Amino acid sequence: MSFGKGLFIGHWVTLRRFLRTFLLGAGRTLKRRGGGHQILDLWFGDKERGSQPTIQQDARTEGLFTVEYPDERLPVYERFRMLPVLVYDDADGNVRCTSCNICAKVCPPQCIWMTHAAGPTGSPVPLPEDFFIDMDVCMNCGLCSEYCPFDAIKMDQNFELSNYERHQTHIYSMQDLLVSSEYYAKTHPDAWASADEVTERGKVQKKKDQRLQKALAATKPAAVAPKTAKV
Amino acid sequence: MAITTEPRPEQTIIRPEWMTVIDPDLQRELQQVVYTTTWQKLVGIGGMIDTVYNWGRRSSLWPLGFGLACCAIEMICTASSRFDIARFGAEVFRGSPRQADVMIVSGTVTKTMMPMIARLYDQMPEPKYVMSMGACASGGGPFKEGYNVVSGIDKFLPVDVYIPGCPPTPQALLNGLIMLQKKIDGEKLSASPWYRGEVERDVPIPVLGPDLIDLRTLEITAERTAAGLVEAREATLVKPPKIAAPQPEAPAAVDVPTPQPADGAPKPMSKLDMIRAKAKNLAEPNPATTEATSPNADAAAVPVPVKDTGKPAAKPGKKIKTAEARPSLVWLGNAGLKDLEGRLNAEFGEGTATIVMAALLIPTEKLLAVANYLRHKNPIKYDYLTSLQSVHYEDCIEVNYHLDSIHDPGKLIELRVRCAEGEGEGRIPSVVSVWRGADFQEREVYDMMGVRFVGHPELQRILMWEGFAYYPLRKDYLEPYYEGPTKVLDSRIEDGQHFRAEEISPHGTNIKIPKGYNGWKTLDPGDDTKGKYLLPSGAEVSELDTDQFIVSMGPQHPSTHGVFRMNLRVDGEMIVGLKPVMGYMHRNHEKIGERNTFLMNFPFTDRLDYLTSMANNFGYALAVEQLMGDDAKVPERAEYIRVIMAELTRVASHMWSIGFLLNDLGAFFTPALYAIEERELILDLFEWASGSRMMCNYFRFGGVAFDLPKGWIERCRDIVYDRLDRRIDELDRYLSGNEIVLDRCKGIGVLTAEQATNLSTAGPVLRASGVDYDLRRASPYSIYDRFDFKVITGKTGDLYDRYLVRLLEMRESVKILKQAVRDLPEGPILPGKKSYQIKVPAGEALSRTEAPKGELGFYVLSDGSGSAYRYHVRSPSFINLTALEQMCLGHTIADVVGILGSLDIVLGEVDR
Repeated sequence: MSFGKGLFIGHWVTLRRFLRTFLLGAGRTLKRRGGGHQILDLWFGDKERGSQPTIQQDARTEGLFTVEYPDERLPVYERFRMLPVLVYDDADGNVRCTSCNICAKVCPPQCIWMTHAAGPTGSPVPLPEDFFIDMDVCMNCGLCSEYCPFDAIKMDQNFELSNYERHQTHIYSMQDLLVSSEYYAKTHPDAWASADEVTERGKVQKKKDQRLQKALAATKPAAVAPKTAKV
Repeated sequence: MAITTEPRPEQTIIRPEWMTVIDPDLQRELQQVVYTTTWQKLVGIGGMIDTVYNWGRRSSLWPLGFGLACCAIEMICTASSRFDIARFGAEVFRGSPRQADVMIVSGTVTKTMMPMIARLYDQMPEPKYVMSMGACASGGGPFKEGYNVVSGIDKFLPVDVYIPGCPPTPQALLNGLIMLQKKIDGEKLSASPWYRGEVERDVPIPVLGPDLIDLRTLEITAERTAAGLVEAREATLVKPPKIAAPQPEAPAAVDVPTPQPADGAPKPMSKLDMIRAKAKNLAEPNPATTEATSPNADAAAVPVPVKDTGKPAAKPGKKIKTAEARPSLVWLGNAGLKDLEGRLNAEFGEGTATIVMAALLIPTEKLLAVANYLRHKNPIKYDYLTSLQSVHYEDCIEVNYHLDSIHDPGKLIELRVRCAEGEGEGRIPSVVSVWRGADFQEREVYDMMGVRFVGHPELQRILMWEGFAYYPLRKDYLEPYYEGPTKVLDSRIEDGQHFRAEEISPHGTNIKIPKGYNGWKTLDPGDDTKGKYLLPSGAEVSELDTDQFIVSMGPQHPSTHGVFRMNLRVDGEMIVGLKPVMGYMHRNHEKIGERNTFLMNFPFTDRLDYLTSMANNFGYALAVEQLMGDDAKVPERAEYIRVIMAELTRVASHMWSIGFLLNDLGAFFTPALYAIEERELILDLFEWASGSRMMCNYFRFGGVAFDLPKGWIERCRDIVYDRLDRRIDELDRYLSGNEIVLDRCKGIGVLTAEQATNLSTAGPVLRASGVDYDLRRASPYSIYDRFDFKVITGKTGDLYDRYLVRLLEMRESVKILKQAVRDLPEGPILPGKKSYQIKVPAGEALSRTEAPKGELGFYVLSDGSGSAYRYHVRSPSFINLTALEQMCLGHTIADVVGILGSLDIVLGEVDR
């Protein structure tokens, strides 16, 4: 056995790989780059360039693409979870949360805290008064959203959360947590369209309609048939 | 908070609440063309210098090659070819703090590790920056309530950038790095503190005394300790309840005092009596009688403890279901155990063995004789100590020994040995002379419960440090942040404001020191309480007249796979003694697990061996399912999904392991980059199905959390059929015959079959020594009996064999995957409706699964309440380390690194 052959083989493997990368890319490697334009851009005529922000690799393509974050990103899978958010309905601005406390009960590191809202007479209202999540304790496990019976707490997909300070900013209050249902529908299209959530939304809508009818009936007994909100 | 992101039509969605609405065309124009700056900054002398100075520094940040926990794996992925941190000029991870200027605190900061981190920080030259990566580093994270966790690195070091997430993905880390660059851009040479002599930027090294003591606040800590504030607070809290130990069938053997009913009510039935009554379909004990007795008697009568605040589980006389008594799913069986009991009683006299809950209760003084008999003379030779753990009961501390036979597997038995309950009073003979694998496990019991093992060669604390004031797993130890015996904890909202756990501790941080402590004067930052009692005593090698040196390697070392430390004694180049020092990542998994509900433990198991979260989920699910019995019958589809996930994990883990073995052999990072490429694709699959790359939290009792998304199985099929084989072939081609690999691996770190068995090693390490013991075959679980695969064994048990076993095992995994993907049926994924309220019958279970690192066991003792009474992890990485000294003796330090690499430890699992 000739001594030192392994060393050359090793270098050859790396070199071949290096060259093959260019061959495989065949010009696409540089062109593929997404994100914004640069001052010096060899493909300045290409209108499409810079508008492919995510990199989804075909399983058959050899090797592995480098994701040039922040210009490109990995595709965000629908179930990808970072921090929890609270959803409110766009149509009427109502917060879905009823402060039933189940998310706080299943939270493994106990980072969710909330209090009931109270009506003017002191009677409990199914809405949260305060809602806090400590982001320095949250373990992004998603159990809260999994077991929420009202589809109110969901896992956000935004991971770009770095900041310079934690004591003022890392306990999220309700203002920081609220997102619109429109936003949620965009980030979680499959879940939004799933049978469970559609039924749940229908139920809530029905309840709201009933309440509306009741209110209308009480104020204007002889009015024309009240308009129901769009389901 | 303003998050500005480049406009991305359709694909990226930005939360509208966080966005200032700008005309997208205008914004694009601004970003492309306009560079906002001032003339002063551009051409002014000072401004120009600042710009260049900052540009130079921010574009070549050299991070310290330093990882603490799970986040470190994501940090390594960031440096790998997919995310390529080199694009930011930050790829030069330095092993020495003196060459680094940014410290990425990636993972849980433990008290044991904190002095080292402070030391590393002090050694870094100015200007230096600290990035706190992940929830743990920022504020303690999910482990914050643990007794060995620092609640945030900012308690000691000045932090520049926080990156939330658990763990932050590589992209999130890059985002943090960009934030740091922005910060550097804003700095001024004239105002930089590091050129001013009067600014002291070093941090004092904290001391490991009775707890982690910050010398800056020494006086106030001493004052508060002397005032007994912690004890005063604890007096007002509800303590974790203790249950009585199960008693044998024969009433004659009962010699433990049972609490007497105070008011002369009829003596309540003991737990076991109740169980037996139920088994015989007798009437339940009259609830009225039970309720009439004093609370004290109640506690004895019902395993569900009485908690005086009326927690949900505290209904006296509540019916408690019991699980079938069996130590594990596959075991000797009742008849066999009865035989064995008779045999032992005949051999050593009546009363030697008594059956208690399908295990043999052995008196302390006869333990060694029985152990020797079982190992050598019994027809089934119990030569393999699977697991050893302890339970703190009301009346005793029980140590459990789970034994199996290597050559006749599937005949698992359990021994129980009991000793005095009082703190530091328990004495039990050590079985190290019979099974050397008991070494670390006994030390762990000593460390956590205070039981002394008589005859143990080196009974030192293993996870905590010598001098830590408490035995943390005892039920009467309350952590500094303790709030209640079980979760859910009380509200932390006061007047519309949220307060943190720090505010409930009198010290304002996670420390607790006994009131009487008076050694304040002797606290010395230079004192190595963790390692100084673990000095190896090596044999004299007299050929050369050399001095012997003690080298402390780790806990901060690029090749110890985390915060692991070895005290080596070298004679010249040769290792003559080695003592592992661990516990630098002890995150109190078990203590937290006993407060969690059963469901809550899932995401915590992810963080044990953070490379194989799916396999950990699997093991834990099996343990609890064993107790739940038919309530958690796993549907077909879920079984297949579980196997697919577990085997994908095995491939990913072995690839990582092989890549980093090469790293340890000196081929720095290039082979690792090759090896972990496919792992990224597997992680994509995990993220797609479960929502997270590493912390999958995907299994549920009786199934899995979600069904596979559309398109998942097709992609998985593509990867399994097309890619994995090719990559394994490639590794095989490059490495198996490579002369450097052969040279460095052949004949190094040999472990014979007998040694490997005796040392309780498991997984690839055991099989490389030629022992055909794979739990998927030896103690079948799930549906592994349906798949066609080979158990790979090695011949010599050297480093090369361990490498080869892993490589070939990947092929077998791919074989299983192909079958599973092909046969995956349609159907439900959970037996019933998804519910967070899980009823687990009282009983004891040990699940045994073949995780990528070896035998992963979860010991769960349930008292019928919402959380486990005792929760223990039999972690393969921890127990495999028992064999480290044996393998390293006579080799050089360079070989030790390789040997450690071939053990494939993950510190999250070693220290838990």
